[in-house]
Amino acid sequence: MKPIPNFILHRPETLEEALKLLSELEGSRPIAGGTDLLIGLREGDCKAKHLVDLGLAKELRYIREDEGMIRIGSTTTLAQVVESRLINAKAPVLSEASSLVGSVQIRNLATIGGNLCNASPGADTAPPLLVLGAEVTIASRNGSKSMTLSELFAGPNRAKLASGELLTEIYFPVTPAGSGASFQKLGRRKGCTLSLINAAAYLEMNGEACREARVAFGACAPTPMRVLDAEVLLRGVKLDIKAIEDVSSACYGLVQPSTRAHARASEEYRREMSCVLMRRALTEAWQRARRNMR
Amino acid sequence: MEYDNILENLLGRSQFLVVGKSVVRADALDKALGRAKFTADYIQKGTIVVKVVRSTQPHARIKRLDVDGALRTPGVHAVLTASDVPGLNQIGYAIPDQPFLNVEKVHYIGDPIALVCADDEWSAMEGVDAVVIDYDPLPANFTIDETLKKDAIHIHESGNVALTSRIRKGDVEKGFSEAEMVVEETYETPFQEHMYIEPDAALAIPEGREKVTVIGAMQSPFLVREKVAHVLGWSLNQVRVIQAFTGGAFGGKDDTGPLVCAKAVLAAVKLGRPAALVFDREEVAAYTPKRFPARIRYRFGADSDGVFKAAEVDITLDCGAYANRAPFWLWRQTVHAAGPYEVPSIHVDGRAVYTNKVFGGSFRGFGDLAMHFAVETQIDRLAAKLGMDPIDVRLKNVLKVGKRTTSDQLLDHSVGIEKCIRGVVEASDWSHRRESRRIGVKVRGVGIGCAHHGISTSRGAPDWSAASLILNEDGTLTYRTTICELGQGTPFGHAKIVSEILGAPIDSIRIEIPDTDTMPNARPTHGSRGLTLGGTAAADAALKLRQHMVKVAAGLLECDEGSIEMRDGRAYRKEDPSTGIEFKELAQELYVRGVSPAAYGFFVPPRRFFDPNTGLGVSYPAYTFAATVAEVEVDVETGQVEVVKIWPAMDVGKAIDPLMIEGQIQGAISQGIGFALMEDLRLENGKVLNPNFTDYVVPSSLDTPEVAETIIVEEPYKHSAFGAKGVGEPAIISIVPAITNAIYHATGISFNTVPITAERLYTVLKRSEQ
Repeated sequence: MKPIPNFILHRPETLEEALKLLSELEGSRPIAGGTDLLIGLREGDCKAKHLVDLGLAKELRYIREDEGMIRIGSTTTLAQVVESRLINAKAPVLSEASSLVGSVQIRNLATIGGNLCNASPGADTAPPLLVLGAEVTIASRNGSKSMTLSELFAGPNRAKLASGELLTEIYFPVTPAGSGASFQKLGRRKGCTLSLINAAAYLEMNGEACREARVAFGACAPTPMRVLDAEVLLRGVKLDIKAIEDVSSACYGLVQPSTRAHARASEEYRREMSCVLMRRALTEAWQRARRNMR
Repeated sequence: MEYDNILENLLGRSQFLVVGKSVVRADALDKALGRAKFTADYIQKGTIVVKVVRSTQPHARIKRLDVDGALRTPGVHAVLTASDVPGLNQIGYAIPDQPFLNVEKVHYIGDPIALVCADDEWSAMEGVDAVVIDYDPLPANFTIDETLKKDAIHIHESGNVALTSRIRKGDVEKGFSEAEMVVEETYETPFQEHMYIEPDAALAIPEGREKVTVIGAMQSPFLVREKVAHVLGWSLNQVRVIQAFTGGAFGGKDDTGPLVCAKAVLAAVKLGRPAALVFDREEVAAYTPKRFPARIRYRFGADSDGVFKAAEVDITLDCGAYANRAPFWLWRQTVHAAGPYEVPSIHVDGRAVYTNKVFGGSFRGFGDLAMHFAVETQIDRLAAKLGMDPIDVRLKNVLKVGKRTTSDQLLDHSVGIEKCIRGVVEASDWSHRRESRRIGVKVRGVGIGCAHHGISTSRGAPDWSAASLILNEDGTLTYRTTICELGQGTPFGHAKIVSEILGAPIDSIRIEIPDTDTMPNARPTHGSRGLTLGGTAAADAALKLRQHMVKVAAGLLECDEGSIEMRDGRAYRKEDPSTGIEFKELAQELYVRGVSPAAYGFFVPPRRFFDPNTGLGVSYPAYTFAATVAEVEVDVETGQVEVVKIWPAMDVGKAIDPLMIEGQIQGAISQGIGFALMEDLRLENGKVLNPNFTDYVVPSSLDTPEVAETIIVEEPYKHSAFGAKGVGEPAIISIVPAITNAIYHATGISFNTVPITAERLYTVLKRSEQ
């Protein structure tokens, strides 16, 4: 395999400078941790004449709570997410999922914004953020805008970002009392593994009734996906083991796994496992919600 | 000489100084701190970069090979093809079926055709892309069945069967007529890629007129020398081979070392400049030899008490494009076909066949892994049919002193398998754990696997080893062997043997890296022979040097030689330890008095032989035995298997270093888990689809189970230093069937193939429910 083709590295110290470079330099791409991008460049899946390193723009690296919102700067590393007291206290599902991405070395470099913009169908941070109702801020020289995380995922390894645009922040509301969430992952080994399939569930309980439910899968469709048809079956109903079982079983027909001959798992296995993982995710989310009545 | 009892007989001691104790290896700190030098660390700026132009076709004639475009590529200095080979363009190890650079035909995707030599990696790769090759595609055979069809196209002129082997022992028909229970199954084992961390590498430096030095990753410096000399048409002493620290090999670099080194050497000699060839991961995983896939049909008969009566075994080895080590591999499988058990009547027929795939080659366990997977699975099936505990069936048939192996070799000593089995049964609380346990969706099971593995090269090929030892003027020692350090630590085991015999502190012995210009041939680091043979050559060198040291010490201390004791770097009179002489002083006296301060050691094990018609004879000088119990937990909803705990036992003859044995066993457990549960090289029309760590999944540290303390059984082998037998390969052989038998116990499903991936187990479990 050929070495990575030559590129020119730029190291802006502010977001403004970075946006300027990205809009002015033809064939430029932002680089954060580089754990996906460098492989893509080497394998020829993507090309870049200029790489704009976001590492020195400290304003993009933070985790904070602000008026009922958790806000995470896009170049926050996955290791920082895993270790964040705020995330562990208020959105532990995101910390759990982040801790299962790659290895220690990868998590020390890889960023949460990079994991989302790479838009891998199996990105481990995507399902928990989808069920937390995350939105993202997209900045460019012309200003900034927001979109839901679902909207960001335009296709397999394709984020809905125009040239010169940069994902700068991920944010989601602090979860209320009576809520709980869970992330489940099935890999080919225990550590340092890509997800054959992953799933997240978020439940808000009002006594025995389910007030709000959001569920999502990864590696079960061209992009990470919310399963709205499953959520409808949960919202407002009295939750019990049977209800969870029914919704989980329904996932078999709601997911759309790859049918490629050399996929990492067969379509049938992924459909079957979507039911198992969703049952486990809902069961754990339900247990956590009940413990979280405050 | 019987080397197992030299402690009492020659050294006059009753207790060991360093042997049998766990000692921190001399190279441990350098490796932990990243200071140890591997081949690529020696490459200096300005070295020519070599890249291999490879076949993109699984089977084709080469119509046209045009290198002009490549030669015009900026930075490219030369493109070498078969016509540039001054010596023999033939590099097959056992059968001359393997061109060094292909010119007429290609036999698999990845077959080497030309070498591009350039200033840097980028230019070299551009040059590779610019080479134009027109192929005339031929039909390709990808499977055993395809290649054995009557009208199948021949991959090599001799046909598609590279060779055959057989055993004819006893009266199989009569044996089966006495059998009450017969189990017949067909097993298939797949490719396994070594995935050694250090990719293959070689650096060649031309030296003056017609001399070249090559530094590389390898397992047999003298095989590298022989092959390089053949390719150049030079004599052996024109080629100097140095083995750098090698970052994992597992057998793989025994095969690739000569191929990679010879390519770098050809470029260096042709250009008169240092040249280096370093593979990338994709090349290693897609194009270098893998564990040979095998199909084993096994028919096995026992009486109602579980006593084995007869076996009929049919082995087909899938060589891939070249035979490579197939003759040795197949023969080893043939003579280990009964497992570590006595089967009075056994017929074995084996054949190795060519296919248009990456070729098979050496890999830890060397054929015995597949063979024992088959045997051990057969036994658990038999036990289930008989309603017997698998342990009882094994104990009824296990090899003991006085019993005979598959090849009718009488075992007269050093047979510790029964102790291994009893050891792991007790340690694991076997009968208690065999009660079935289900916790929610998790089912637990335990299984046992047993193994035996002959030490030394197969097919009775002549085998020997050598070592050299120098006592320096300051009393320190320089030890050298061409047994290679591959991570396993064998040379350090040699140093401990030297330390024990001379009474020299282990820190005073420096192990120099192998160099063919300074040493006689110690033969390869394979066949679990590095310690048994290499270590005994070290003992021989140490005993010779000891004689010289004792002679001079006796003169200085004015006593007879028999009353000299040496330890802690000092020689003294036994009856008066306070009167003595430091090695520093003693060393100087040797030099001054003209008594040689250096010694070469040499060792040849007792002769082996076999009858080519029956396959019977003395196959190996000694066997290492192992037994392992594994406990697994199966998630019945997902099919995932977790290996929870392993209880290992091994008859090692004599443990030179228990810590290193543990290291070998822990590594083997991980590699065995990979083979049993995960590793799945995918090919489509001869192309490897997953030549990378992303999709060729090997176990991570989190997949490594708890490992109970190794039960070390010591049944010494009388012809090796202190009785030691090799441990590196036997360690992996019993792990795999222990795991698969545990899955059988947990789920009632016995698999005939591996890996048992989650999806596969899930699918079978689901089918069995319906």
